[in-house]
Amino acid sequence: MATEAGPEIHPIEQFSIHPIVPIHIGHYDISLTNSGLFMLLAVGLTCLMTAIAARGGAGVPTRMQALGEMAYEFTAGMVRSAAGEAGMRFFPFVFSIFFFVLLCNLLGFIPFAYTVTSQIIITAALALLVFFTVVMYGLKEHGAHFFKMFVPEGVPIYILPLVVAIEIVSFLSRPVSHSVRLFANMLAGHITLYVFGAFVIMLGGASAILKPAAILPFAMAVGLEALELLVAFLQAYVFAMLTCMYLNDALHPGGH
Amino acid sequence: MTNTTPVRADAGENGRKDATNMAENDEERLARLRGSLARARAARESEKHSAPPDRPAQPGGDSGMSLAMRAGSEFVAAIIVGAGIGWTLDHFIGTNPLFLIAFFFIGVAAGVWNVIKLTSPKGGGSERDSRLSQPEAADKGLRRSGPRSANNAWRGASGGENSAVGPDDDED
Repeated sequence: MATEAGPEIHPIEQFSIHPIVPIHIGHYDISLTNSGLFMLLAVGLTCLMTAIAARGGAGVPTRMQALGEMAYEFTAGMVRSAAGEAGMRFFPFVFSIFFFVLLCNLLGFIPFAYTVTSQIIITAALALLVFFTVVMYGLKEHGAHFFKMFVPEGVPIYILPLVVAIEIVSFLSRPVSHSVRLFANMLAGHITLYVFGAFVIMLGGASAILKPAAILPFAMAVGLEALELLVAFLQAYVFAMLTCMYLNDALHPGGH
Repeated sequence: MTNTTPVRADAGENGRKDATNMAENDEERLARLRGSLARARAARESEKHSAPPDRPAQPGGDSGMSLAMRAGSEFVAAIIVGAGIGWTLDHFIGTNPLFLIAFFFIGVAAGVWNVIKLTSPKGGGSERDSRLSQPEAADKGLRRSGPRSANNAWRGASGGENSAVGPDDDED
């Protein structure tokens, strides 16, 4: 594959989880892993940002306060447009999810950092949290009326079972697509970046004729970095936006 | 918003009147200002209340690329979930390929339904309206100049389909 002393490509290795602080309680291994460290870092940075932003309350906002206000306005606009004014009761939930995902995505860009959202278990946990929030809140608020969501009006009785089955499968497919989209984007992005980065090193370590060709994958890696930055933000936005739209179904079942 | 201009004009007029006879006009002016303020507030409130249902789900910032990614993943996810339900039912009942096949096709239908729901605008009637209005707009030459940007902003049925189907094919 590589030239004699060239590096081997292991694009998946960057996603391996290893413990940093081993903790064992009974039979359970609850060690702090590199994944957990970056999750804590993401939560910590979000808390720090909002705490600093909320500290002043000055008439003329400081830079951090302006940032905090922008973050609030952006998320509040997203919640209002997708779930209406009633959706604002879920604002803290959506805000937390949005900034957790966004910071996990962005922290992954630091060299040697770990991209938490490239593990499907993380995104699946978040998506299932949203899913069960929708189901439980919908059942609590609307009771059996919540199931009307699966029964569209004006459908003849003889194909109703089929339509209901389709609607239920469509509803159950939400957490799958919700989690897989974020996970796949982050995983694919970081693998691509790694592969192009490895190409630069391989070509740079090759014969003198091939050396200048290393500029090509390098240029590609620079372009990809910019694209991945966009994807990191966009996927966090899409994740939060879909959360709002699913919550909208819990607030107003049946009404599209 | 439009109500703010009359308010300003009133204030200006009153300001000039105030210079001539101040004492008698104070009450009158206060009442008038109060009235226009109430009107402006009412207009703003009604605007706020009517806005969410009028607007489509996404006000913008959602590019065609992410729409295409969503369409692709929702289609695949529904098929996987359908097949998974079928396989699980077979596993417990023991009718091996029967439910797997049946629910696979239900999954495909649910996937298509997901994509239809995703690309059609909210509200069943508006879909037809936007299809009808498309040729009209083209006759006037409004849409000709920038069909791409118009599609993105409008997010109508035909625009959504175009931007969804194109990149989706690439993905497969």
